[in-house]
Amino acid sequence: MILTISLVIAVIFGAGAFLLLQRDLFRVVIGIVLISNAANLFIIASGLSRGEPPIYPLPEGSPVSDPLVQAMTLTAIVISFSVAVLLLSLVYRLYTSHGTVDLEDISEMEVREAEALERESDPEREEEPASRPEEVELREDTR
Amino acid sequence: MSAPAALLAGALRPRYAAPVGAAFAALAVLATVRGWSAGGGTVDVPWAPTYDLRFTVELDGLAVLYALLATGIGCAVLVYSSHYLPLHLEHEGRPESEGTSFYFFILLFMGSMVGLAMAQDLILLFVFWDLTAIASYYLIGFDRHEEDSRASALMALLVTGITAVFLLIGALMLYAAHGTFSIPELTRLTEPGPLLAVAGGLIAVAGLAKSAQVPFHFWLPRAMAAPTPVSAYLHSAAMVAAGVLLIGRVYPLIQKSDLLLDALLVVGLASMAVGGVLALTRDVLKQLLAYSTVSQYGYVVFMYGLGGKYGAAGAAFYVIAHALSKSALFLTAGAVTEATGEDRLSRLGGMRKPLPMLALASGLAAAGLAALPLTIGFFKDELFFGAALERGPVFSALTVLGAALTFAYIWRFWSGIFLGAPRDGACGVPVALVAPVVALGALVLVGGVFVGPFAELAVAAGTVSYDAPAVVEPAYHLDARPENLMALAAYALGVLIVVSRPVWSGAAMGVSRLGEVAGPERLYDLTVRGLNRFSDFVHRAEVRDLRSRVAAILLPAGILVGVGFLVTPTEGAYRVGEVRAQDAPLILALLSVAVASLTTTITRRHVTLALVLSSAGFVLALVYAFFGAPDVALVAVLVETILTLVFVATLKLVPRKVLHRQAGLPTERPRRKVFFSVIAGAFAFAVVWGTLSQPAAERSVADEHLRLTPEAHAKDAVTAILADFRGLDTLGEISVVALVLLAVATLLNAGRLR
Repeated sequence: MILTISLVIAVIFGAGAFLLLQRDLFRVVIGIVLISNAANLFIIASGLSRGEPPIYPLPEGSPVSDPLVQAMTLTAIVISFSVAVLLLSLVYRLYTSHGTVDLEDISEMEVREAEALERESDPEREEEPASRPEEVELREDTR
Repeated sequence: MSAPAALLAGALRPRYAAPVGAAFAALAVLATVRGWSAGGGTVDVPWAPTYDLRFTVELDGLAVLYALLATGIGCAVLVYSSHYLPLHLEHEGRPESEGTSFYFFILLFMGSMVGLAMAQDLILLFVFWDLTAIASYYLIGFDRHEEDSRASALMALLVTGITAVFLLIGALMLYAAHGTFSIPELTRLTEPGPLLAVAGGLIAVAGLAKSAQVPFHFWLPRAMAAPTPVSAYLHSAAMVAAGVLLIGRVYPLIQKSDLLLDALLVVGLASMAVGGVLALTRDVLKQLLAYSTVSQYGYVVFMYGLGGKYGAAGAAFYVIAHALSKSALFLTAGAVTEATGEDRLSRLGGMRKPLPMLALASGLAAAGLAALPLTIGFFKDELFFGAALERGPVFSALTVLGAALTFAYIWRFWSGIFLGAPRDGACGVPVALVAPVVALGALVLVGGVFVGPFAELAVAAGTVSYDAPAVVEPAYHLDARPENLMALAAYALGVLIVVSRPVWSGAAMGVSRLGEVAGPERLYDLTVRGLNRFSDFVHRAEVRDLRSRVAAILLPAGILVGVGFLVTPTEGAYRVGEVRAQDAPLILALLSVAVASLTTTITRRHVTLALVLSSAGFVLALVYAFFGAPDVALVAVLVETILTLVFVATLKLVPRKVLHRQAGLPTERPRRKVFFSVIAGAFAFAVVWGTLSQPAAERSVADEHLRLTPEAHAKDAVTAILADFRGLDTLGEISVVALVLLAVATLLNAGRLR
């Protein structure tokens, strides 16, 4: 049983990792959702006992499922759902600003923008390469 | 004893005027003298007891010597800069308010120097050590609009900062072996052996780098980009002196290892030679003085290497004499440059007419450095020769040669400025620029006549270093003892070097050029440039693509996990687990989740993808139900429904054209991605299997929760946990959801970019 669950979790995690490596941002989001699913399954599988639901009146004689991991899984599900929704709206936002949901296109645009910034900046700036990456990063964050 | 410490703490605060700073420095001098005459003292406070760190300062001989140097010369320098700095800022066209940071850092430097001098704990020493490095970085890079200035400051910081790590490593090695950072205790505990040699060597490397000894000498001439008062202070009396101070402080440890003493000898000799020869070739005033500093501290290191009481006390005395003379000469260079606007020997000359006082005072200082009689410098060479004589004729000959080199380049400096045909364009300089030079020159002369107090100071410092009374009595002897003969020989040889300039100047220039092509400075340049390029490369690789960023996090994490697996014993760590008959539906559901997840990787169209994802989620909810968790299953169904709706809605917002393009794109480099995913899955598998195979032995928490559920007026243990036992967790979760809600609303509506 342990082996089966581990294998299933590994398959879900691997599929999530594969999607995470795609250039389509929607697939990246789905990859993250899958990885959170794997994590949730992991949490609930790590319960110390498995059996009847932990609801009163408790059944006599048969084992009761571990309530603690259930509570934690509940929390984890809600949080991962929030993360997924946030990511989705971020993707949508990227689409409205760049007109694409392709990671490669977006990073290409950003490189071009960074180069334009470098060209604009005065020669004295050019001497301080340390200040440039921060500028670019700031821009990425605020977008 | 706490008096000087308290006063210095006051001086550390940003004082907005030079006079205040100078007054504080003067007060600190007085307090140090008073503390010393009262017999010294110790302050010992536990600082971070968890790590055995103590704030231990003691005003012993060595501390007094360096504290007096730092505060006394600091006082002179502050007086000097109160007039120099406004002129300097005016030349550069900068507002006068920028001078404030200068005073702040110079006082910070002074304070940490005094702390460094008194520290008795290796870690405390390290802290003050780095403080001096930081202050010096800002002081050297004071002209921050000039690239050269910034590069020099960085070089000084890197060279002294990186070697400071050696000091820390050495300290930790000694701590690991003996369980204390306290230097006096370590002196008692350490035994000669490889550990001491390595640890002491590491500490000595830090000291040598700070003292600009070969092969770390290159940062000092570059640091001359700093304003003149900084050069005068940091690079004659304070920063470079900190290096030999460290060596003097840990000398009780170092002198137990003959290997280290021999190494000091070699380094000292090399610095003497390199510094002396290069000083003869330099044209810029401050560069000449910088190389002369390298060579002079070479003498000090050499004397420590010679060992014995002459070595320890002589080195201390040498530091005093050198600091007095050298800072006067630096200030002279600054004043002359201020008067004429020239900083090259070849364009200066005949300044004795317009600046007679300066000529006299700096002449005294120069004589002190050249060890002429009637100056304090004579005694430094007397001790120097005495120390060398103890070791034999070869060393004596080398020291005579070194002294002759000193004589030659100091003569070159002084005669180049003040003798020769007068040039035009010289104007007078303010009194405040001359007065400190006069004061220091007078001290050099006084020390030459009444050597007593200076010698006493040096003996006290030498006693600390030597860890035994190191009594030396420098005095004039009008007889033909070897020391006097050697001094005469040095003068003669020095004159010979001066006279025979055309013969050797070509060779000396050749040496200097060789140093530029193959010296350590070039190595440093290459290293810095390579690091810059590497950082650019990493930045480009990491920042430009989200996936590389993810990889940059996941890859090291994966490697760490892998290493963890390799070092963990795997015997009996994994269990297959039993399969019961009633588990069949669960396994079936699990398998469908796996199949659905795999399907997501090959689905092309987005809507299908969303539906496959939601089907995986719903089956997962079923799995939760089989796990005996109806609450989780219900929530999962709810969440999955909403997520599916949101997903489809988002897809609707994005035009079909864009999505089609994405769906039509082939996966590039699919093999690599599959490979990475399989690796990731395998790691997840190993971690999960390992964890699930080893459940915790007790289940008291769950049982307790179950038992307490009725008391919480609940029937469902899970709800009781969420709402009651772990209510704070739920609160946190709710805030996360609220925050996300806000963020999503902002992203969708407000602040549209275009």
